Amino acid sequence: MCEYSGRLVAWLDNELPDQELPDQEATNVEWHVRHCAECRKAVRAYQEVSGAFLVCYEAAIVARPRSRMTLRIAGGVAAAVAILALVLLAQQPRLERLSVRLPSPAHAPAMAFEKSAPPAPAVAVRQQPAAPAPIHSQWMAEEPVVEVALPADGLFPPGAVPQGFSFIAEVRFQQ
Amino acid sequence: MSGDSVPWALPLARFQTSEREATTLFGELRKPLLRYLVCLGLSSDEAQDVVQDSFLSLHRHLSAGGSQENIRSWLFRVAHNQARNRQNSYARRFSAPLDDAGAEWVLDEATPESALLEKEKLQRLGHAIRTLNAAERECLLLRASGLRYREIGDVLGIATSTVAGTVERAVKKLAEKCNV
Repeated sequence: MCEYSGRLVAWLDNELPDQELPDQEATNVEWHVRHCAECRKAVRAYQEVSGAFLVCYEAAIVARPRSRMTLRIAGGVAAAVAILALVLLAQQPRLERLSVRLPSPAHAPAMAFEKSAPPAPAVAVRQQPAAPAPIHSQWMAEEPVVEVALPADGLFPPGAVPQGFSFIAEVRFQQ
Repeated sequence: MSGDSVPWALPLARFQTSEREATTLFGELRKPLLRYLVCLGLSSDEAQDVVQDSFLSLHRHLSAGGSQENIRSWLFRVAHNQARNRQNSYARRFSAPLDDAGAEWVLDEATPESALLEKEKLQRLGHAIRTLNAAERECLLLRASGLRYREIGDVLGIATSTVAGTVERAVKKLAEKCNV
């Protein structure tokens, strides 16, 4: 171990206590380093390590990725927001459609009748055949009845309803 | 070293009167401060906050007629103390290693073989940095920021001779661990 070995880094940094005095300690260290192979090797090693440290330090702010914890927190927050939005949507009160009967205009514009009717939905509509009169037909007014058959597969997921089942809706038109 | 362009005593008489000077000062010291804080273990956002708070403190300090001597170490000290306040535990404080920070930079350089060797060397250095204690690491970071030993002593509240000893010890430790 050399007597100058404890001052080499400070000498490299120009930080020896009396560095400002010319031809004093700094010069002594410099002279010693020139003639001491061990100190010369140590100085090279310190320079190399200091340079590498500086490279790491300079690159730190550029290369540092976002931490996994930050990503996890961001993901958690996004999931919580999505769940909250779903809950709020589910709790929203359903609006009931009120049956409002609008009076027909006395003189409807002629153009209204020139428009072609929209295409009918592709559902199987069949006129009810001459079925036996229902029991309540005696106390209800006679009304035209249309049955609309809806395939069960269209309403429920596959397999939820036994095969062959279908739903029939009765539609009554009142005048 | 980064931050060498910042003079020892900044022309802060003009700082209070000229917005351009303030902008210059911010531009000169913002990046070194950010880098130091990130290397201390703060997140990028936290570091930005601390830098902003530090410059606000500087503004208040100067408005109150505070000393304009050695503003660089003053700012580093304020930022360092704020970083300490934000870091709850010692473990978190130094859990962010400089490890592979330089690896990407090295890969852009020279031949693949030399890049690989440099990368390995930097990885060894990263492991060696982890073995440093808090004071050694802080001293080296401030030294890499371009601060003089006296300024480092001001920031950390220790004597200049202590800084010299700590830096010497830290560099030797790194050299031994890296086998250079």
